[in-house]
Amino acid sequence: MFIEIWQKIKSSPIIILIPVIFLVSLGMLSLYSIVMVQEQAPPNAFSKQSFFLIPSFIMLVTMTILSKRLIHKYIYVFYVLVIFAVLLPFFGDKVSGTYRWINFGLPFDLQPSEISKWIIVLVLARYLSDNNLKMNHFNSNIFPFIIALVPTIIVLNQPDLGTAFVMMAPIIPMLYWVGARPFHLFLLVAPLLSIISAFNVAVFYFWAFSLALIIYASKPKLVHGIGLYFSNIFLGLIFPLVWNSLRPYQQNRVLTFINPEIDPLGAGYHIIQSKTALGSGGLFGKGWGQGTQTHLKFLPVQESDFIVSAIGEEFGFIVLFLMISLFLWFIFKILRLALNASDRFSGLTLIGLSSIFMAHIFVNSAMASGLMPVKGLPLPFISYGGSFLVSSFMMLGLILNFGREDVY
Amino acid sequence: MLRSPNSVSKEKFWLLIGLTIFLHSLLLYRFFQLQILDYDLYKQRANSNRIRATSIPAPRGLIRDRNGKIIVDNYPTYVLFGIPGEIVNKSRNFSVISKATGIDTSYLSINYKNNYRSKFLPAKLAKDLTISQLSRLEENKNDLTGIIYKQYPERIFNPKIRASHVLGYLKETNQEFPSTISNKSDYQFGDLIGWSGLERHYESILRGRKGVSYFQVDAYGREVGSIDGQLNILPTPGNDIITTLDLEIQELLESKLKDKKGAGIVSNPKTGEVLAYVSSPDYPPDLFTGLISTKDWEFVITDIDKPLLDRVANGTYPPGSIYKMIVAIELLERKLVNEEWEVFCPGYYEFYDRTFKCWNEIGHGKVNLKKAITESCDVFFYQAIQKVEIDNLSERSKIFYHGEQTNIDLPSEMKGRVPNYKYMNKKHGKWGWSKGAMLNLSIGQGELLVTPLQIALYTNILATRSETFPLHLVKNEYKKINRIKIRNSTWELIEKSMRNVVSGSKGTGRRADPKIKGLIISGKTGTAQNPHGEPHAWFIGYGTKSNDSISIVIMLENGGHGGEVAAPIARSIFSKYFETDFKIAKK
Repeated sequence: MFIEIWQKIKSSPIIILIPVIFLVSLGMLSLYSIVMVQEQAPPNAFSKQSFFLIPSFIMLVTMTILSKRLIHKYIYVFYVLVIFAVLLPFFGDKVSGTYRWINFGLPFDLQPSEISKWIIVLVLARYLSDNNLKMNHFNSNIFPFIIALVPTIIVLNQPDLGTAFVMMAPIIPMLYWVGARPFHLFLLVAPLLSIISAFNVAVFYFWAFSLALIIYASKPKLVHGIGLYFSNIFLGLIFPLVWNSLRPYQQNRVLTFINPEIDPLGAGYHIIQSKTALGSGGLFGKGWGQGTQTHLKFLPVQESDFIVSAIGEEFGFIVLFLMISLFLWFIFKILRLALNASDRFSGLTLIGLSSIFMAHIFVNSAMASGLMPVKGLPLPFISYGGSFLVSSFMMLGLILNFGREDVY
Repeated sequence: MLRSPNSVSKEKFWLLIGLTIFLHSLLLYRFFQLQILDYDLYKQRANSNRIRATSIPAPRGLIRDRNGKIIVDNYPTYVLFGIPGEIVNKSRNFSVISKATGIDTSYLSINYKNNYRSKFLPAKLAKDLTISQLSRLEENKNDLTGIIYKQYPERIFNPKIRASHVLGYLKETNQEFPSTISNKSDYQFGDLIGWSGLERHYESILRGRKGVSYFQVDAYGREVGSIDGQLNILPTPGNDIITTLDLEIQELLESKLKDKKGAGIVSNPKTGEVLAYVSSPDYPPDLFTGLISTKDWEFVITDIDKPLLDRVANGTYPPGSIYKMIVAIELLERKLVNEEWEVFCPGYYEFYDRTFKCWNEIGHGKVNLKKAITESCDVFFYQAIQKVEIDNLSERSKIFYHGEQTNIDLPSEMKGRVPNYKYMNKKHGKWGWSKGAMLNLSIGQGELLVTPLQIALYTNILATRSETFPLHLVKNEYKKINRIKIRNSTWELIEKSMRNVVSGSKGTGRRADPKIKGLIISGKTGTAQNPHGEPHAWFIGYGTKSNDSISIVIMLENGGHGGEVAAPIARSIFSKYFETDFKIAKK
């Protein structure tokens, strides 16, 4: 049996672990700098992260050797369990204003929404590979969309805007992979764009015009075209009402994104300080343990949400360039595996997982550098955070597993 | 079905690869933009984040008397500031401060509001904190995020004298600056600036240059040590100024004028050095340092005796009989009368339908010019003035600095008023005045107004035949005033007459003479009628003993007769200055 396991591991595309090892090391180096310079006694971010590497490794191996057949068979059951899991925190105590964590009496809390991200991917992969859907019909897109939407809406109410975004991220690439028409996918995204563009009258006019052009160019039935167009516009128009139902901190985040200078010590303060830390690092950085913005605590949530800025300040553009290159290599590798996968279930899963990683990388870095509103999303393999680290290694295990040339 | 085929076109794969590259490039470009293109901006921002530069105030130069004794010194006080952007809980902070120092929280709040400039600039909360108050604050430092204090040198004054109008006071700058300041950019909000007196006039010498101290702060505004490679700039203390004042003479003159309204100047007629300069009533010189309470301020402002007014340079009064020497000089120089010319004084003079009284109602009998000055006979001048042209007299007065600024080294000085033909026409209309007005003018009354400071220079001119320097309070190079061209015989007559005022048996200024052997005193009294009650009492005079001389001007507002109240004050100054002990102390 051990030989069989060893064979499985050996035949996995373990080369993908190389960028991961570098990335984890970079993260640990940065966390070490934070806890040492600031003289934080253990348990601190570094020691906890080191500890979580143990279950992470176990889960990596487990997910690598787990039978794909079993995963395929029971994934719907897991889907139902996950919906309950993301509902669970609502019965516990609020932690910093949100219902994200569950406490099982362990010294740390668990965040079930982390697992739900890739469970959704697996469920979608099974649904889309089991049923030979006529993907050029728009209606075929609707049910997969709902599958992702149900847990997402629950997470959105925890509230956790960032995770909710990540949970929806895989659906478009996966539908595209399986053959959906780009126009249909556009229609799925259109309502979101209608809402966002409603912030600004000029942008909204521009959007309304583009929408009309795209619908016209795609030549749907007249009734459908008119219906699509006006339902989108209507959504944009009623948005101000929806806006008022948002929680104040969510409203604030969006608002300060539009103009971070509004309140330097409020939410915009994060973006300003993060940019300052990043920018002041320059090409080569200030040196390991020398980051003034980081260590004088000007940089907020520096172990997780803004770790990119801490790295950028101490190690400079050179290391960020290397880091992004490693991530790019990592994503390339997954996409290549998806292309070469022998079955659709594996291919779709790999596409979904790469989307999740991609969403994390992009949102985290874009946020830390002031390109996006502040959303609490960690950077894979680098940011401090137990649940997310374990979850990332489980996804990595799935990638090794599904990227394997299986011999049945 | 697990085995559904994974048939995907290469196009889809490349599109996803393209999208991935695009998103990663976007991130890389953003990092490049922040870290390479905008590096300087963020580097500077990072430093201003963590580096707090605060100015170290420079101690002002000291003000000393002519013998080097300190009149104005500095001592350290502590000032408390709050940095608005770093204060976490204002009301809690204020109550902690209040508990530790006993300062009222409402007082702190008002100061905070008034001194607030921006989120990251310290706002002054309280000043004049003692060391013990400070140490109690230190104990609570952890509760006082964003509260800092600085040491300030503050003015402290020699307790023997006040000299408040001469020394002047400092004020915290805001948007206002004295017009004498040219380099306004050197001052920050809240810096002290000389606002009046010598402090203002010699601001550029006294001030020195501020230093800067740099230290590192964390995100909560707490100091976390100094910065490597960034040295503090030490302040340069201001330079001392050595005044011409004499501590003891000033002290004596102040005590003599205490509880009176008036002015007194003692100076050296040969050099123009001012030995004492007193305006009474005055105010404590430390009134404007530290925390002046609204009550004290109201009291000073609303006092009807106007203690803030510098009567020496800014008070204007009719000169009365001390003006008579100018009239006499005009009469003699234009040969309108000679030494022998006499009038009969019955105690009054009838001019058309008006009767002008002499101060001595029983009359002076036959009076010539010398006697007219010695006994201050008015009737002589009533008659003589009728030979005088008003514009000639006006010009003559200006040569003797009546209605002209003396240019003493103080920031403000009134000009007074010397009427001329044009002025009289303007005021009364061409036909509205007559020679009758000239009669008033002849005895230093009517439209004529002078400052005691102008009279001091006038006295020095009379004492030296105009071989004197401008009046000044700080030793420096000065140019002699313009020589006044008058015949020696005229000077001699004036001098003889003035000597008789003090030493003559009927002189009005007899009480100014301390009768010291070898001391010769000349002078003139004045009793100036005015619409505000009792006449103003004047005495001017100069004493010389073995080549050393001083001149004295005493003016008592509504004091009565010059010879009775002003002259005795002059006597005590002469007596002090020329006594043997003082001479030794002076050297």
